[in-house]
Amino acid sequence: MNKTVLAAIAVIVAMLGATYLAVGTAGGIGGDGGLVNKLAVLGAVVLVIVTTFVVTKYVRQMQNDTASGKLADENWDGIGEYKNELPFGWAVIFLGSIVWAIWYFLAGYPVNSYSQIGEYNKEVTVHDVKFNEQYKNMDDETLKEMGGSIFIVQCAPCHGLQADGLGGKAADLHERISAESVKHVLMNGSSNNLLGTSMPMPDRNGLLNTNTNALITDAEIDAVSKYVAGGLKATEGADVFAGACAACHGADGKGMEMVAPNIAEMSPAMIDMVLNHGKKGAMGTMPAFTNLTEVQHKAVDAYVSSLSKK
Amino acid sequence: MFHWLEKNPFFFAVAVFVVIAFAGLVEILPNFAQASRPIVGAKPYSTLELTGRLVYIKNSCNACHSQLIRPFKSETDRYGHYSTSGEYAYDRPFLWGSKRTGPDLMRVGNYRTTDWHENHMRNPAEVVPGSIMPAYTWMFTNVADVDTAYAEQLTIQKLFGVPYNAELPMADGSKATVALADTLDGARASALEEAKLIAADMKDQGVKDAVAAGQVPEIVALIAYLNRLK
Repeated sequence: MNKTVLAAIAVIVAMLGATYLAVGTAGGIGGDGGLVNKLAVLGAVVLVIVTTFVVTKYVRQMQNDTASGKLADENWDGIGEYKNELPFGWAVIFLGSIVWAIWYFLAGYPVNSYSQIGEYNKEVTVHDVKFNEQYKNMDDETLKEMGGSIFIVQCAPCHGLQADGLGGKAADLHERISAESVKHVLMNGSSNNLLGTSMPMPDRNGLLNTNTNALITDAEIDAVSKYVAGGLKATEGADVFAGACAACHGADGKGMEMVAPNIAEMSPAMIDMVLNHGKKGAMGTMPAFTNLTEVQHKAVDAYVSSLSKK
Repeated sequence: MFHWLEKNPFFFAVAVFVVIAFAGLVEILPNFAQASRPIVGAKPYSTLELTGRLVYIKNSCNACHSQLIRPFKSETDRYGHYSTSGEYAYDRPFLWGSKRTGPDLMRVGNYRTTDWHENHMRNPAEVVPGSIMPAYTWMFTNVADVDTAYAEQLTIQKLFGVPYNAELPMADGSKATVALADTLDGARASALEEAKLIAADMKDQGVKDAVAAGQVPEIVALIAYLNRLK
């Protein structure tokens, strides 16, 4: 036995000893460490022995081997090169990498390449499928709940978390319409864009009160504004409503399709129109919310129309 | 040649740099130039909008608000379609921002309106409970710098060929033109015309009076800019 082998054995013993000192019986040599610890220690032992064996082999080869083979004609400052055959494994890897490069160039990259937008589209698709599956058959409670959470994100910045319009900054959604808004519409008319018709509601100069056969007066506007805002329940203003408004909005105020909107109560159809087209009224302009999906629209419709029914 | 390069490491390094730089130019630049072209629907800023943009920059709005919607569902749900590079073609400089203390404003014009901005800029916490955004009350009285915006418009038109007074294709197939006045007085007049439309939707009497008197308060210009972000 020469010095190298002795040194190798010494290294193995030292490293295994150090492992034992560090791990002790907890490592599982004693038995209570469990299977994973036993495997880990076994792995460490194998690693030490194999490493030492391989290193020893190459050190001895460097010590004992003599050069053989045919030298190339050219030499570089006295350093020559053997004309050995390419090792078989290298040749296989070399050819393999050429094949792989062709595949990657033609199919691998173009077909499988990463794209942020691709990842985004996938994320959206996965979500949509899951969403549609989960909310296929919603009952009214779930719909309202969903509408409530959409409301907090999309609507609350203007209408407030309580949907009270933040003191007149936006419509108070607990009532169908405020007296101020009714008055604004009566004074200025309405484009009726929401209904999708080009026939606008006239301003006060086109509003005839059939009871008096004259244009609507300031006092009548005030009275009917309060009447409509109060939910068409009071007695005061009822006659003006019947005379000037009922022809289009109906005697009960529930409107007519393509002619006049429902002004008696919050209806899902009306809310949906506002969401789709936005609105310009007495308090300001509301943008359209076309970014929401159909289900989300339905949810908001359900939630908002439930507010005024409490 | 190659044998000579092999013996001169410095020039070898230079040659390597030149080769790689050339490859980079050929590969990257055309793609980059293509992607940064204005997308269909992009319009240069009108005089009042650009004035508002200057107000936005002057007050460092971009320190807290980004203008860049990333392609994640959580972002597109909240802010709208993710941003594409062609949308920034007329932004000089772009205002991506590096931090979101407040929300992204890339498409704020889609979901906020003039009256909301008016309430919000006067007292943010009143509209958004818990907001830490400061109030910008001075914008209601400060007069905006329309002249500088016009100078910038002229400069970018001459220097970068920004297509003012030209027909631009819109996403819905129609054409749109952003007018640029020939004279400073013309630019002031057109900014005032735009300002009147904004002020009509506002409640502040001081602002209405100022616009009626021919001035453009900063808040009006800023709202014109914010409404334009879509």
